[in-house]
Amino acid sequence: MKRAVGVTVNGRAQDLSVDTRTLLVHMLREDLRLTSVHIGCTTGNCGACTVVLDGKTVKSCCVLAVDVAGSEVTTIEGLSTNPDELHPVQEAFIEKHGTQCGFCTPGMVLAAVSLLKSNPDPSEDEIRHGISGNLCRCTGYHNIVLSIEEAARRMRDDKPNAGSRRVASGSVPG
Amino acid sequence: MKYVGQSVGGLRDSQLVAGKGTFVDDIMPPGLTHLAVLRSPYAHARIRSIDTSRAEKAPGVLYVITGQEIKDNTNPIPENYDPIPMGAKRVYWYALCIDRARYVGEAVAGVVAEDRHSAYEALKLIEVDYEQLQPVTDPEEALKPGSPLVEPAWGDNVFISRDFIVGNPDQAFAEAEGTVKGVVQSNRITGTPIEPRGCLASFDPYEPMLTFWGSTQDPHPLRVFLAEILRVPENTVHVIQPNVGGGFGLKQPTFQEEPLVAYLAIKLGRPVKWIEERYENFQTGGHARDTRFYYEAAFKKDGTVTGLKLRVIADIGAPSGLCGWGMSFVTWYTLPTFYKVPNVEMRLRSVATNKCPWNSYRGYGKDAASFVMERVMDHISKATGVERTAIRFNNFLQPDAFPCPRPSGAILDSGNYPGALRKLLDHVKPDEFAREQESERKKGRYLGLGISMEMTPEGASMPGSVIVGGYDGTTVRVTPSGDVMVLTGVTSPGSGNETAMAQIAADALGCEISRVRVIQGDTDKCPWGLGNYSSRSVIMGGSATHQAATAVREKMFDIASRMLRAFPEELVAEGGRIFVAKDGERAVTIDAVARQAYRHPHGEHMEEIEPALEATRHFRISNVYHQPEKQGRFSSYPTWPYAAVACVVEVDRQTGFVKVLRYCIVHDSGKIINPLLADANLHGGITQGIGSALYEQIVYDEFGQIRTSTFMDYSIPTAVEVPKFELLHQETPSPFTPLGTKGVGESGVGGPLNALCSAIENALPDLQLHLTKLPLKPNAVWAAIQQAEGARS
Repeated sequence: MKRAVGVTVNGRAQDLSVDTRTLLVHMLREDLRLTSVHIGCTTGNCGACTVVLDGKTVKSCCVLAVDVAGSEVTTIEGLSTNPDELHPVQEAFIEKHGTQCGFCTPGMVLAAVSLLKSNPDPSEDEIRHGISGNLCRCTGYHNIVLSIEEAARRMRDDKPNAGSRRVASGSVPG
Repeated sequence: MKYVGQSVGGLRDSQLVAGKGTFVDDIMPPGLTHLAVLRSPYAHARIRSIDTSRAEKAPGVLYVITGQEIKDNTNPIPENYDPIPMGAKRVYWYALCIDRARYVGEAVAGVVAEDRHSAYEALKLIEVDYEQLQPVTDPEEALKPGSPLVEPAWGDNVFISRDFIVGNPDQAFAEAEGTVKGVVQSNRITGTPIEPRGCLASFDPYEPMLTFWGSTQDPHPLRVFLAEILRVPENTVHVIQPNVGGGFGLKQPTFQEEPLVAYLAIKLGRPVKWIEERYENFQTGGHARDTRFYYEAAFKKDGTVTGLKLRVIADIGAPSGLCGWGMSFVTWYTLPTFYKVPNVEMRLRSVATNKCPWNSYRGYGKDAASFVMERVMDHISKATGVERTAIRFNNFLQPDAFPCPRPSGAILDSGNYPGALRKLLDHVKPDEFAREQESERKKGRYLGLGISMEMTPEGASMPGSVIVGGYDGTTVRVTPSGDVMVLTGVTSPGSGNETAMAQIAADALGCEISRVRVIQGDTDKCPWGLGNYSSRSVIMGGSATHQAATAVREKMFDIASRMLRAFPEELVAEGGRIFVAKDGERAVTIDAVARQAYRHPHGEHMEEIEPALEATRHFRISNVYHQPEKQGRFSSYPTWPYAAVACVVEVDRQTGFVKVLRYCIVHDSGKIINPLLADANLHGGITQGIGSALYEQIVYDEFGQIRTSTFMDYSIPTAVEVPKFELLHQETPSPFTPLGTKGVGESGVGGPLNALCSAIENALPDLQLHLTKLPLKPNAVWAAIQQAEGARS
C-alpha cells in the first residue's frame, strides 16, 4: 500500500508516494538517491544510516518513511554542496584523516555536527560517548576523535572564512 | 625523496567525507532486480526436495533458482588457493547447496524479484523438505572415530594434518630443568566490515559481456573464478570494484552469492543485485581464529626455552572455496614466532565442523600464533620467576640471525626484536608504572600493565594459486599533456594504498603529486594483479609502481638527454622538471618531454625511441621458495613485520569489567611510505584486536545454531572502549623490496590478545591468574577472579 509523504529534505520540499513498509533510509536512498545514507545493519546498531530529523540525529533504518511526513530531514548532502565549501567538521575529518573506507563517515560526521551543536567544547570522553552510537571498523576512532577535537577548535575560533577555505585531499604537510 | 615518508593526506578523503563515495548498493541501473537468498535453518541436513511453485507465483517474483539448476549449468566454486600443496583436501562447493546443507546459513535457493521486499516475502513460500542430520560442532569431537562427517567423501573430518619435528624434543624434555604445559583457546570471531557484502551483475548478450560490480578485494582473481564457474571466456567478464566499505580479508572471493548473482543476470537478461543483511554476514560471511592449542615447554632455570611441543586444533567450520582454512596453516607456520627454540614438535589438525566456513580475516592466523607463544612465555616466566620481559630478551632471535630459517620452513627476512621491546620499555617506564599501580591499589583501583610481542608475516605467496602470489602489476602512464595515471593491480578497500602509490610514482617520476591520478579495481582498465590481502599492496603493488614509474622516467631521460644535449646519467627529475644535476638551468619540463613522446614520433629527439610514455611492470619478490624440501616445507612469506606492545588496564574486581586506559606499540614494518596512513591502519588493527580480546565471540549451540547474528550480541568496540593510541616506530627495511617496505595492514591486531591477558594478571598479582581463554568478557574475568579467590581461601 502506498501513501503520500510530504517532507523537507536538505531544505527542499518533496512530495513522495511510498510503500508503507518503506524505511526512511530506503526512501532517502532509492526515491531521492541520497546514497550517502548507508545501510550497515538495519537493527539500529551501526549508525551508518544516521540522519538529522527535526534537529536530532536518528538512525534512519529505525524510522518508517511515512512517519516523517511534515518533518525536516538533513543528510550529509545537505551539509555542503561542493568540495570548496565543506563544513568545518568535514574539513577537520580530512585534515586528521578521520575516514578510511568512508562507509561510516557520513553518519559519523552528522553525529559529530550534532554533538558540537549541543556541546561546542567537549572533552575527549564526551566526544567518545557522543559518537558511541556510530560504529567504525577501520579507524579505531583515534583519528575521528582527533578530527572532532579539531573541528570544535575551528568552530569555536569561528574563522569567518573557515567554510570557504579549500582543503584538498592529498595535501602535503607544509 | 619528496613524498615517500611523508604524511600525505588520503586522496579519497574529501570524496568520502562528503558522502560521495560510490558503494555497490549505490549503483542502481535501469531494470534493476533484487536477489534474496534462502538459507539453511539447520547445521546439517539432507535436502530431499524443494517446491518453488508458490514462490514463483508471488507478486513481483521473476525467478526462483535451486541447487539442481546450478549443478546442471555451473562448475563448483574453485578454491581460492590450492589446498593440495598444503596437505589439505579438496571440496566441491557450488553457488547453492545441491543435496546437503552443512551449516546454518548455507545458501539453498534464491528468489529474484522486481524489488527487495517481494524477493524476501517470496522466500517464505519456498518449501524445502529437509532431513535433519546429526551435526558436529566441536573439533575434538569431530576428530573421534564415528563422528558425523561434514564431508562424507573424506572418511574423516580432518582437512589438514601436518606434523613437523625439528631437533630432538623428547630429549629436550627429558633433560629439562623445568616444564610447563597448558591449553590455550582463541575465540571464534569475524571482522564485520560496516558495509556488508554485496554485488551486482549486468549482462549484454550482444557483445557478449558480463559486467560485475562487487564489494570485493580482488577483482582480477574474481574474474578468473567467475569465468570458470559460469563456463564463459574470461575476456567476456568485466569486474569493477566500486568503493569498498571495509574488507579486512573478508571480501576475498569467492562467495556463493557472487556466481549466483552473475548466473542470474545472464539467465534473466536484467541487472541483478544482492546486498547482504547483517545477520547473513554473521551466519555466512566467514569466521576466524577458533583454535585450541595444547602446549608443553621445556626450559632451563634461567627461562631459556629448550623444547616445545604444540598441538594445534583449528575449528575451520565447513570446508569451502574460501581461503580461511589457510589461517590454521599460517598459525602453525608462524610458530614459534620470535624465539630460538632448538627442539620443536608441531602438530596441526585443521578440522571441519558444521559451522560457517572460515574466511580470511585480518591477522590470518598470525594473531593466534603470537597469542599462544606469548602465553607460553608468560607461563614460563611465572614458573621460573624470571621477569616477563627478561624471559623474552633471553629467548629472542638476535638481529644478526637473519635471514633466519624456522621449523615450519619459513625464513624470517629481517628484524630487531630486542630493539623494539627495549624501545617500548623506555616509553612505558614499567618502574614508574609500578609506583602508580601501588598507590592506586591503596585507593582500591586495580591497574595492570600488559606486555606482549606480535608477529605478522606479510605478502603471502602460495604455490599453485591464482590469487595468493608474491607479485603484482602496475601501469604508469604519462599522458600527452604530462599528467600521470597510475593503474594498479592492487586495490584499496579503505586502507589508503592509492595515496601511497601516488607518492611512490611522483617520486620516481620527479613530478608533483597533484599531477598523479591512481586508478584501481577495474579489470578492463588495470593491469593484471591480485588485489588486496596479506598487507601486500605496498609490498607488491608499491614495488611494481616504483619499477614502472622508474622505467617511464628512464625513457623520459632518454628523450630529455637529446633535448638538453646531455647524458641521461647526468639528469635529475624533480618538481615536474628534468634537468642536468650540475646545471639546473639546463632543464625541460616533463610536459615538454611528453609532447615529444606523443606528438613528434618522427622528430629529432625520438629517433629509435618507442613513442608514448607508458610502462607496465610486474614486481615479483625474490625471497619466496616454493620448491618443497624433504619434510615438504616451503617458504611463502617474504616479509616479517612485528611489534612490541604494552597496555594499561583497570580491572573492576567486583564485576570483572576491564577498561583499557593506555595502549602503546613499537612497530616495525620496514620503510613507511606514509606515516599518517600507516598509523591509521594500526589504530584500526589494534581496535579490532582489543575487540576480539575483550568482547567479540561467535557463539554456536550444540545443535549448530548460531547465537550471535546482530551487533547486539556480537559487540564490537565503540569509541568508548578504546583510548588514544601511543604509536612508536622502528624501521628495519626489507632487504628484498626496492624501497625497503614491508606490510602494515594486518599489524596491531595480534598484540592485544596476550597483552590484555597479561595486563589483567598484572592488575591482580595476589590471585596469580593464568588466563588461557578468549574473549575476556566481564563474566569470564569475574569467574577467573572468583575461582582464584576460592582456591586461595
